[in-house]
Amino acid sequence: MTFLNPLLLLGALGIGLPILAHLINRQQVKRTDWAAMQFLSRSVRVRSRQLRLRDLLLLLMRCLAVLLLVLALARPATNSADVSWLPGEERAGVIIALDASFSMQHSDGKATRFERAIEQVRIISEHIQPGDPVSLVLLGGEHRVVLRNMAYEPNRFAEVLSEQQAAAEPLDLDSVPKRLETLVQDMDAPQKEVYIVTDTQAHDWGRASSPLQEALRGLGQEASVFLVPVAGSGENLAVTGMDLVSGALRKGSIARYRATVHNYGKRPVSGVDVRCRVEGVQIDSKQIPLIPPGSSETVSLFVPFYNSGPTRITADISGDALATDNVRRAVAEVRDRVSVLCVDGSMGDAGRLIMSSLRARTDGAEDEGFVVRSVQWPDFPTGDLGQIDVIILADVPEITQEQASQLSRFVRQGNGLVWFAGDNVKASKWNELSGEGGSALLPASLGAVVDTSDNWGVGKPLDPDMPDHTVCRPLQSLPEDLLSETRFLKRLQVEPADTSFLVMNLAGSHLPILLEHSLGRGHVFMFTTSAHSTWNNMAQTPVFPMLMQQIVTYLTGREFEQPRIVGDSLMLSYAEQPDAIDAVFDTPSKQAITVPVREYRNGYVALLEKSREAGFYVARVSVQAPGMPIAVNVNTHESDVACVTATALRESLDGTGITVSATAADLSADINTARTGRSSWRFFMLAGLAFLVIESLFADRILGRNRLRRDQRSRPPQHEEVA
Amino acid sequence: MSENLPETNYLDPELLQRLGDLELVAREVVEGIRVGSHRSPLRGLSTEFAHHRQYVPGDALRTIDWRVYGRTDRYYTKLYEAETNFDCHLLIDASSSMNYASGKVSKLEYAKFLAASLAYVVLKQRDSVGLSVFDSEVRTYLPPRSAMGIILEIDRALRDIKPTPKTSLAKQLHDIALMMKRRSIVVVISDLLSDVDDILAGLDHLRFDGHNVIVLHTLDPYELEFPFGGTWRFEGLEGEESLTTHPERIRDDYLANFNDYLGNLRAGCVAAHIDYTTVDTSRPLDAMLSEFFFQRQSTLAGPSIGARR
Repeated sequence: MTFLNPLLLLGALGIGLPILAHLINRQQVKRTDWAAMQFLSRSVRVRSRQLRLRDLLLLLMRCLAVLLLVLALARPATNSADVSWLPGEERAGVIIALDASFSMQHSDGKATRFERAIEQVRIISEHIQPGDPVSLVLLGGEHRVVLRNMAYEPNRFAEVLSEQQAAAEPLDLDSVPKRLETLVQDMDAPQKEVYIVTDTQAHDWGRASSPLQEALRGLGQEASVFLVPVAGSGENLAVTGMDLVSGALRKGSIARYRATVHNYGKRPVSGVDVRCRVEGVQIDSKQIPLIPPGSSETVSLFVPFYNSGPTRITADISGDALATDNVRRAVAEVRDRVSVLCVDGSMGDAGRLIMSSLRARTDGAEDEGFVVRSVQWPDFPTGDLGQIDVIILADVPEITQEQASQLSRFVRQGNGLVWFAGDNVKASKWNELSGEGGSALLPASLGAVVDTSDNWGVGKPLDPDMPDHTVCRPLQSLPEDLLSETRFLKRLQVEPADTSFLVMNLAGSHLPILLEHSLGRGHVFMFTTSAHSTWNNMAQTPVFPMLMQQIVTYLTGREFEQPRIVGDSLMLSYAEQPDAIDAVFDTPSKQAITVPVREYRNGYVALLEKSREAGFYVARVSVQAPGMPIAVNVNTHESDVACVTATALRESLDGTGITVSATAADLSADINTARTGRSSWRFFMLAGLAFLVIESLFADRILGRNRLRRDQRSRPPQHEEVA
Repeated sequence: MSENLPETNYLDPELLQRLGDLELVAREVVEGIRVGSHRSPLRGLSTEFAHHRQYVPGDALRTIDWRVYGRTDRYYTKLYEAETNFDCHLLIDASSSMNYASGKVSKLEYAKFLAASLAYVVLKQRDSVGLSVFDSEVRTYLPPRSAMGIILEIDRALRDIKPTPKTSLAKQLHDIALMMKRRSIVVVISDLLSDVDDILAGLDHLRFDGHNVIVLHTLDPYELEFPFGGTWRFEGLEGEESLTTHPERIRDDYLANFNDYLGNLRAGCVAAHIDYTTVDTSRPLDAMLSEFFFQRQSTLAGPSIGARR
């Protein structure tokens, strides 16, 4: 037998009270000399043995009452058959963990997995006694406790259950046992049962890792654990990507996006229509003839921008069993025009080549929306830079501290800076500079110029294995020999800052060619080489114009163009301290979440710690301000909806003590078999109260204690007391 | 009593017990009863004039010397030479039952103070006081005399007695009656816890001998009210079998029996022209005496002395 509140057993020391009362009351038989004996009626005689018996009976009843009440409060419970003679009720504390990841929205045509899971929960709830503690937790990326130790009330529970629905999150299975263990430990019950109702996705349960198995075993030691699978077919298509590949995000231009569709099923799928919508209006559609099982296919979607401003773009498919992952979203910040200023310190070819790469047009025509200007280094503008979006510093020997601060402020406001090395660059002067707020303007400190040519005087090529960076994305589609022909003879030795990351490097080494770091709301790119032919031949290959135009597109974009994944944080950055103390995030379901603005790394941010829905959020600096859409997509890791069979589950979980209840009948039978825990507190409480009542009746009615109190005189007689 | 003298500070019996000196006790009690507030109820008749005293309110009008008034325009009362023509005999019951005390003062001690105070009053009037102490037999008999030493004799006589249960009150009263030579005022101070007929027989004997009998029925308040609660064992002082009982359950019966007994006793006394007074030992002695004197004085001139409570 165990006690749910064992500390209360210390209350058994209270048995000393009735014993003390007995010892005191034993003195109540008092003796007195008496003269008027002839007037005393001898009809009421009390014998000593009678007194002792009465006192012992009272003592016994009081002690028993105290003991029984203490036992009741300590909540005795047993799982053992050895004490089956003890009266009690079969009670259990139940924790129901319901998988609410978006794979549970997968439908077999009749009902979704989540709806079938709800039915299984209803079967479980039929075995719960009213008053038993019940917890309901929705599993996902972050597990949400809906009910915590609620005294079970069928109608209330059914009402709460019917309000639940699956979220757009993936399931974080590894953290499930620990979360459930916390809930188990927080529950007081003679027997604790945990029911995990899930679709047992193969990528989660099929590879049950050792730590997970160990955690489940630990949970099994704390409670009886039942795994209730609601499996379904693994057929599913998902749009797993939608990326800007090329093109400028300017009014009147066309950008190319690439949509990727993955077939997670075991059967090939043919004729998949991929539609592209801009602000909800379909503007393009492509058909993928066939997607083999387990494969991805991509289509290019061309998006014309007729208007400036933030633009919502989606790629979607239809006719699928799981709709949540059938759409992918992106946001494009379309500008009216883009202005680039090139500050040329080379007084020669480098600046010219850079200008040429930016002005390169297939038709050779001038683009009104894309203005590129060049000034010589000594004419570095000192006035307002508000009309400029990107500044390129090409082989600039040095700048003043004021100019550094001006550039830093320029970048922090959301603009871009591209820095090129060159023969004229004075490394020590640049290293002495610090940007506004003390942080460095460039992503690395400069060193000496080093030779990267080999013995034959041929430089090293670019590393073809590039990161999946927006800047690199168009280069990945270039023929490999074109990349390998781009040779670098010299480069500037640099020491990257902690906040910077590598975008391009030389093949066969990790020597950086292009570095990036963020500064406020903008970005700074740093070439460790020059555009001049004495440093490399990059400017003479198609790589350079593609790279430069992609960099400008990237820099003129906005931070929220990068789509987020459900569960990611959403951050709104401010260059200056805003007037409003709160920012507002509107969720896709049209709920407004207010987030306070706080100071962060020399700037101001409003951070929504977790996005919980898939769709377009809208971030606003205040309630009245216009919004900036943010695309939030589902994590397609969850799109692989193939499930593990019950047999495979049992094998996988062998030794963990977890019972797999595959069918409704199995579930009911398993519950009945496992539920042996009985609670006896009610019995002890009733027995204790009964003894109190009997003692009270005995003392008051038989001994006339009430009348004694009523008739008690205030002045006690001076008499001898006897035992 | 307190409605008669509501403002008076009385002498608590326990305070008197602490005084120790019985003569002092008697003086404190009696002198505390203001002169002139009432006539002495035990005063006898005397014809030999002694002297005058200025009249004070409360003195009987018949004692005013009108001739002196005619000469001086002042009221004087005539006081007579104390001629010992009157004996007072105090009969004190010293049996075991008189030792009962619910408080600190037993009935016997109260009786002692009562006797001393009465003796003091009588001696102050220059009458004679005699004393008898009895329990199962007559232990002490002092013939009446008019010396203050009788008060000390009371104390000594009671101190020397080893109380024994009384057997028959009538027998003791008979024996004492035989010892008394002259008609006297006989004051019986006793709890009278005996058979009513036996008591009345003894008292009647005294009456038949021509004595003026006063019964001061001395009882403890617990005997009058029986306020016990809980479980009690009662040990009989007169050798009765002890009884363990719940007093609150027998209280009604007790009070009924006791009141019957008191009623019978009082009726018997009235019938025998015996002055009967119940004395509650919880009451201040001087208050009790004051009330007793007042009531006795108010009925002194009457044809007979009735029992009163």
